[in-house]
Amino acid sequence: VVPGETALAFYKAKNPTDKPIIGIATYNVVPFEAGQYFNKIQCFCFEEQRLNPQEEVDMPVFFYIDPEFAEDPKMAKVDLITLSYTFFEAKEGQKLPLPGYQ
Amino acid sequence: MSTAMNFSNKSFAPRPPDKGAFPLDHFGECSAFKERFMECLRRSGYESAACRQSAMAYLECRMDRRVGPGAGAAGTPLRGREGKQLMANEPLEKLGFKDLINEKSEEKPEKS
Repeated sequence: VVPGETALAFYKAKNPTDKPIIGIATYNVVPFEAGQYFNKIQCFCFEEQRLNPQEEVDMPVFFYIDPEFAEDPKMAKVDLITLSYTFFEAKEGQKLPLPGYQ
Repeated sequence: MSTAMNFSNKSFAPRPPDKGAFPLDHFGECSAFKERFMECLRRSGYESAACRQSAMAYLECRMDRRVGPGAGAAGTPLRGREGKQLMANEPLEKLGFKDLINEKSEEKPEKS
C-alpha cells in the first residue's frame, strides 16, 4: 500500500450459530503510532450489522495511509501496519465505549 | 488503582470512518467484483497499487446497487433505511481514483 493512495481490503465474518446476531465492530491498529496515519474512508465498523444464521459476509474497508506517514522519521522502520477488527455482540441499549465518538 | 507505567501508556482512540459505514452485502451482489479484486491482488503479490482498477470496479458496483425492503426481508439493513445503496454515490475522483478516470476518458475519443 502506498501512502496517499486509496486502498481496499476485505475481511470475512461468519455467524456459525442458528440465531441472527447483531454485532458492532471496532478496530485497532498496530503499531500504535501508525494509527494516527490510518484514515478510513468507509468501513463496516461502528454501526450495528446483522448476520443471519450461518451467514457469511465480506466486510470491506476503504482506506488510505496519510502521506505524511512517509515524512515521519519515527515511521521510517515501520513497513508493516496491522489492522484488526473485533466484532462484539450488540446488546440492546448497550453502547460501545468509544472515546471521541459521540 | 493501576498506576503501572506501561511503556506505552496512551489509549488508542478509534475514529469513525469519513464516509460512514458500508451496509453489508448480504446477497453477495458485488461478490464477483470482490473476487476479481482478490485474484488481482494474489497475482500481483498483494500490491494494492496494481489493483486499483478492480477496486474502483467494486466500489462502482456498490454504488449501483440498492439494498432495502424491496430487495427481500433477509437483506433489510437495520434501522429501516429505505432503499439504501451499498455505497453512497460519490464521484470516483474524490475516492482517489482521479488518475484512473482520466485514463478512461482519454481512451474515449479513439473509440468514437
